[in-house]
Amino acid sequence: MHRYGSPVPILTANRLCFRYQDQPVLSDASFSLEAGEFVCLLGPSGCGKTTLLNLIAGFLMPSDGELAFEGRPITGPGPDRAVVFQSGALFDWMTVEENIAFNLTCRKRPLAERREMGTRMARLVGLQGFERHYPYQLSGGMKQRVGVARVLAAGPRIMLMDEPFAAVDVQTRETLQEELLRIHAATGCTIVFVTHSIEEAVFLADRILVLPSQKGTDWKEHRVDLPAPRWAAENRLHPSFVAMRETIYRELRKGLADVPGH
Amino acid sequence: MSPGTERRLYWTIAIASPLAILALWYVGTAHGFATPVILPSPGTVIGAFVDILRNGYSGGSFLSHLWASVQRILVAYSVAVVLGIVLGLLRGRYRLVDAVFLVPAEVLRPIPPLGIIPLLILWFGIGELSKMLVIFLSVFLIVMLNTQAGVRSVRPDSIRAALSLGASPFQVFRYVIFPSALPHIMTGLRIGIGTGLTILVAAELLGGDRGLGFIILDASNFFRTKDVFVGIVLIGLLGLACDRGLQWISRRLVHWDGKP
Ligand SMILES: Nc1ncnc2c1ncn2[C@@H]1O[C@H](COP(=O)(O)OP(=O)(O)OP(=O)(O)O)[C@@H](O)[C@H]1O
Ligand SMILES: [Mg+2]
Repeated sequence: MHRYGSPVPILTANRLCFRYQDQPVLSDASFSLEAGEFVCLLGPSGCGKTTLLNLIAGFLMPSDGELAFEGRPITGPGPDRAVVFQSGALFDWMTVEENIAFNLTCRKRPLAERREMGTRMARLVGLQGFERHYPYQLSGGMKQRVGVARVLAAGPRIMLMDEPFAAVDVQTRETLQEELLRIHAATGCTIVFVTHSIEEAVFLADRILVLPSQKGTDWKEHRVDLPAPRWAAENRLHPSFVAMRETIYRELRKGLADVPGH
Repeated sequence: MSPGTERRLYWTIAIASPLAILALWYVGTAHGFATPVILPSPGTVIGAFVDILRNGYSGGSFLSHLWASVQRILVAYSVAVVLGIVLGLLRGRYRLVDAVFLVPAEVLRPIPPLGIIPLLILWFGIGELSKMLVIFLSVFLIVMLNTQAGVRSVRPDSIRAALSLGASPFQVFRYVIFPSALPHIMTGLRIGIGTGLTILVAAELLGGDRGLGFIILDASNFFRTKDVFVGIVLIGLLGLACDRGLQWISRRLVHWDGKP
């Protein structure tokens, strides 16, 4: 059993297990997330990052153990744990502002309020002027911004992000990362961010959790120590950044070496 | 080729092709390749149409014949569309609802509607109800199946996104599943109107004294081929108008369809 995290957890996993039919994916995972923390999940492909995110989102139920959000077991999906999908999963039939205000629509808020939220969030993610556009009229990076704005408008306690920037080009990705850090600082929202990129994890996270490969059980944790403001692009060249990237890289390669066929 | 040029070319060909058929028809009949009983000339058919417009056909005005047909298809099609969409949505979403309808719908589907008509006449007589029921049945099955396929094509991520943003099960249905299925539903409506018109004519051939199908049957009994043609062309044009109308609506309603 492994236990990480601070005294005021917003989310706690205690001996969390998950199996697809007979295939174990997560076994005996214990960790906790502090409110306001930016946590990145790293780990080899197939180790269960998406599964863990789906458990937190409430799309899947634990096979065993406990997963509690603000002290209560998670029983299903909800806007307090809203998800940004890699595919975007935008509603193609709704305009940008309708997508953004979807949570308000569900809560039957008046049109004026939905419009106001649409405008405000569009500005926050740099999409002013595109409120009345449809997703198919946007670039990949812009779609991801809508995905983020849509989640922020729901006022989540935790924002769950599964490789949201994997499908955009490097320049756009870096811009989006920097904007996400600004938004994190501005909203104080807890973020769980799944990525394959060590650089991305080190640049974004306060804390990195490295999941074990399917054979292993060994969770690793790294606390990132980079100067504020975290969104400064120079951080990508900072000695701590470079050192941490190397540490995690070695660690992951060692993990891979344990798996037959690598 | 610029989009504008391409578009112009498209419409030129789309209009030229029926005109060419018309010209062939005209030339063929003008040179006496066929007797008027086998193939009347376009001019004769237009003359017959004008005559029906002025004097009606077989004791009924032109409008009464047209309205009889339009009314049958309108009622049967509307009921079929509403029920087909509702049941298709439910079948696509809930496996147990699907289980209820699976065998009856699949058994009914391959039976040609004309095979059901004798039964319907036996049960409900030869009046309006039988005609509408047979149209209803075919359109209903088409719309239901297409709607169901539409529901199946919903991306699971969209549903998860909606749930995670706070949507209730009904809101998921209304804001995600229904719009996702809409392109398929519109396809179902277009296939359905075509089939509905086909069966309308078949049903009208069975009896009654009003309707475009009745004109065709009655005229052919008396070898009035030009009137047969009037009926055929009118039904064809009705079909064309319905299909174009639905496509026009569809383009505006599901504007996002087919875009990456
Ligand atoms: N629906 C499913 N049914 C059965 N097994 C599944 C299902 N989804 C995932 N798995 C299995 O669970 C394991 C973990 O999958 P998961 O998607 O969580 O991995 P991941 O860490 O997100 O991988 P990646 O980095 O490639 O996205 C994999 O071995 C996969 O084969
Ligand atoms: Mg994954």
